[in-house]
Amino acid sequence: MSAILLIAVPLLAAFISILVKKVSPYLLLLVSLFALVYPFFMDMSDVIIGGFDSPIGINLVVNKFALTSLIAVNGLFFLVVAVNIAQYKKLSSILLVALAGLNGLLLTGDLFNLFVFIEISGIAAYLITTTNKKPLQTFNYLVAGTVGSSLYLLGLIILYNMSGTLNMADMATFVEGNGMYTLFPFLLMFIGLGVEAKLLPFNSWVKGILGHSNNLSGAMIASVYATAIALVFGKLLAGVFQIEGTLALIIALVLGITILAGEAMAYASTKAREILLYSSIAQAGIVILLFTVGLGAWATFFAIANGVSKFILFGVVNRLTEEVGSDEMDQLKGSFVNNKLIGVSFTVAALSILGLPLFFGFVVKMNSLIGFFEPDFVSNLPGGNFIFPIIILVASVIEGVYFVKLLTKLWYKDSDVKVNFTPLFKYVVVVLAVALIVFGLFQGEVEELVASLINPGGVFIWN
Amino acid sequence: MLQFAAIILLMLGLYGLLTQRNVIKIIISLNILEIGLNLFIISVGYFEGGLAPIFTSETPANPNFVDPLPQALVLTAIVIGVGTTALGLALARKIYQKYGTLNLDEMGEN
Repeated sequence: MSAILLIAVPLLAAFISILVKKVSPYLLLLVSLFALVYPFFMDMSDVIIGGFDSPIGINLVVNKFALTSLIAVNGLFFLVVAVNIAQYKKLSSILLVALAGLNGLLLTGDLFNLFVFIEISGIAAYLITTTNKKPLQTFNYLVAGTVGSSLYLLGLIILYNMSGTLNMADMATFVEGNGMYTLFPFLLMFIGLGVEAKLLPFNSWVKGILGHSNNLSGAMIASVYATAIALVFGKLLAGVFQIEGTLALIIALVLGITILAGEAMAYASTKAREILLYSSIAQAGIVILLFTVGLGAWATFFAIANGVSKFILFGVVNRLTEEVGSDEMDQLKGSFVNNKLIGVSFTVAALSILGLPLFFGFVVKMNSLIGFFEPDFVSNLPGGNFIFPIIILVASVIEGVYFVKLLTKLWYKDSDVKVNFTPLFKYVVVVLAVALIVFGLFQGEVEELVASLINPGGVFIWN
Repeated sequence: MLQFAAIILLMLGLYGLLTQRNVIKIIISLNILEIGLNLFIISVGYFEGGLAPIFTSETPANPNFVDPLPQALVLTAIVIGVGTTALGLALARKIYQKYGTLNLDEMGEN
């Protein structure tokens, strides 16, 4: 069975769901469950579309990396939908389009096709964020996203003019011999993707969107979309882009500032949602940094661990905010005293992002850092092997400060905040928290999974 | 020459995005930027005296076709642009309903 069904079925279902509005939420649940289960049974071979062999035709790349990211993203998508669909039945068709777009992003092996999927999933994301009831912020997101993807397209067309190909693998071979000339188009593409990936100078939309997010949009944008975009961006940085000279300096600066400024702003915030959104900006910076320096296999799992944690954090905080009516930390004081199970899961997720032992986040963070000091590791970013590990460690310390601050407020003893969580939500959150612990305990198995993403030559497989 | 026109339109669009404070004008700037981009894409495949890449009974033996791929790409890009514009205008309507103005400076929040 071919991987194309992962894109075709959600799109078809989206059309059908407009015709039969009443069953559309069930259709959405069914299709997103299908998208979660299907990757386990599909053929592990590339898909050629329209009978034109790559590099001439569009192809879908199916490999271990695509499989891992599909399972992670579709799994998170299914959980987000399952927990929230009762509240947002009207969005079923849009969510189906989003699912098609996200699967397309992760599968496609063609750079223009990637642009199309960025726009499809982007338009779905704008529509999802309209549920925040903040049209101005959504409009800002739309303008930023559209300009970003236009810049990506501009860079891509310049590259096409030089190389005559749009295929990722073919482009990579072309770029290898012509690194110098591709600097400008790559910079344009980097900025374009940086908008969606929340890198620092291009992420002005994030505060408006995630700072006013609701149950659905918060988890969707911060967890599902962030994971998918980080993985796709990483794939391009690791595989297609040739990062050297001035471009390397610019990327190093952007990533370093993204990480440190993101953490600093999270530290300065007093609102729970703002802490989380700035923290996710910093995490996005770290993931993309790891991809850039060639630690792609660990970066993949870093992104996944972060996505799972962010699902719990944003899910819980948005639900608290909805009931309490404010996301100021002082107002939420002591929310967990009456909801111990949710509180423990939230704590697990926060500590996992922080990178404390026992949790999934520790395994990925430690191994990524070890990667910097492997004897055969050569940094392609200025700053060598030391500056970036230092930045990541400093970021972890700042994370430690603000997460502990947040947790002590939320666990504050005397409180009369009473929030009811649905049993389904509780169940999902606890299962994810347990998953974070299990992956953290069975380090060997995680390492095997990661090793399967690296081919015998020691290079991260991306195409 | 075509490229210069495209770049000028791109820059005009970008200038509009940075300077305009009216929601509708921002959407128009976005459109100008997209038109410039589309023109740029077309210009990549075009050359003086090239034929439209369609085989007919009158096509000469060694036809001098322009590159058809950018034309296909631009078609996709136009459709996406229309979708984004429609969504932007719908949001503009919502913004007007909420704030009673389309000027970003008069809304009191950013």
